Amino acid sequence: MRAWIGFLLAAALALAVPAGARAQLAGDTSLTAPPVAPPLKKGSPLDHLTNDPKLDQLPIGYSEGQTGGVPFFVAHRAVDTDGGMGWGWVRKSDDDWSDGRWIALQEQPGLAVAPFRKLKTRDGDDNWEFKFWGHYAAYKAYDPHLDELLPVFVLQGYQVIGPAAPLNRLVGPPDRPHSRGSNASSRPGSPIETNHNID
Amino acid sequence: MRLLPIVLSLLLLGSLAVQAQPGEHIVLTGGPALRFMEHGKDASHDFYWFNFVDASTIWLNQIKSTAAPGDLITWLVYKPAYVSRSNELGLNLVAQIVDKARALNVNLLFFDTKDQLINYLNKGQDRGRMKIVSFDYFGHSNKACFLFDYSNTIDTMSICFLHVIDLKHIHGRDFARNAVCKSWGCHSGELYSKWWKDEFDVAMTGAVGKTDFSHGGLPALSDANCRWSQ
Repeated sequence: MRAWIGFLLAAALALAVPAGARAQLAGDTSLTAPPVAPPLKKGSPLDHLTNDPKLDQLPIGYSEGQTGGVPFFVAHRAVDTDGGMGWGWVRKSDDDWSDGRWIALQEQPGLAVAPFRKLKTRDGDDNWEFKFWGHYAAYKAYDPHLDELLPVFVLQGYQVIGPAAPLNRLVGPPDRPHSRGSNASSRPGSPIETNHNID
Repeated sequence: MRLLPIVLSLLLLGSLAVQAQPGEHIVLTGGPALRFMEHGKDASHDFYWFNFVDASTIWLNQIKSTAAPGDLITWLVYKPAYVSRSNELGLNLVAQIVDKARALNVNLLFFDTKDQLINYLNKGQDRGRMKIVSFDYFGHSNKACFLFDYSNTIDTMSICFLHVIDLKHIHGRDFARNAVCKSWGCHSGELYSKWWKDEFDVAMTGAVGKTDFSHGGLPALSDANCRWSQ
């Protein structure tokens, strides 16, 4: 009987080994220095972004990408004061702002990128308006800062209209719970409440 | 009383048989941001394009040294982010990943969408026989989401992710009861681990706070205030 118990104990210990081995593995980080990036490709979007001089404000009428023709969209840049990364409002040219949608802007480096890329600051075009050409994507974007899903506008080109008065609308998608406190979730059924760190 | 040793040994043999059944080790790797999107930010991510890949290959190598005979080791990689970062860098990162998988002799599968990933987890193997015995995630995350795409298609956002709400689409029977799971990304221990446990009845270790991939190798907790949790 004792022999059987001893055998069982030994077998149980043997079965416990994998978890122990894995705990040891986690300690080995095998640090190595990452390699150095190759030089920037001359004329690439990243080269332009890095090296082109930055402006204080956008020139009225400046255009970029594929512009012209109808239909076009009217876009109102609005920095999200709640900490989200949505770009602003977009409406069809013959709609009212009440029909505007709070969007995530999908840039196309090499064709058309967000107007603020030309500016010294990312919010330097706050409350500026633009003509946009492009389309809505079939997918949505997840904003990890606010746990929100936003419609995606794929930018093909834009033209600067100029500064405008702030819109009389709360920033963010319609399901953002502005009226609730900080413990409110920003998505129906969403588990996130506050502190939307991401890395 | 004389039957007791026989009963116990039968039980033991049964448990050994379960243990001896081959299982699948899964390493899931998200993609890097584009430098175009991250340029000029105070907290700028992914200077190094293979921070997640290098950590994954180190871990895969270690899994290989401890995996049971017959175990399958599968590396799932979100491909579109590496295609676009390749275009930005002027390197073929996808080919490099293929070479790394070949050198490690692991089963490499690229995925483009969340549905492809979930489909593999549920149906990529006969889950009645081949359970997932370990699962490790290397990539961007917040506490509620694995972000396979992050700041790559859209600045600071994601178009391919696995939110805790999506976990219900993954079958609990995919996992062995003693599966060992870990997210090496940031903040997973603050919420994701709980949802994972609730959904699959399997613990997932995750970070409370940030993890740091920037020094190469396996990520470490960012500072003394961070910790691993389940």
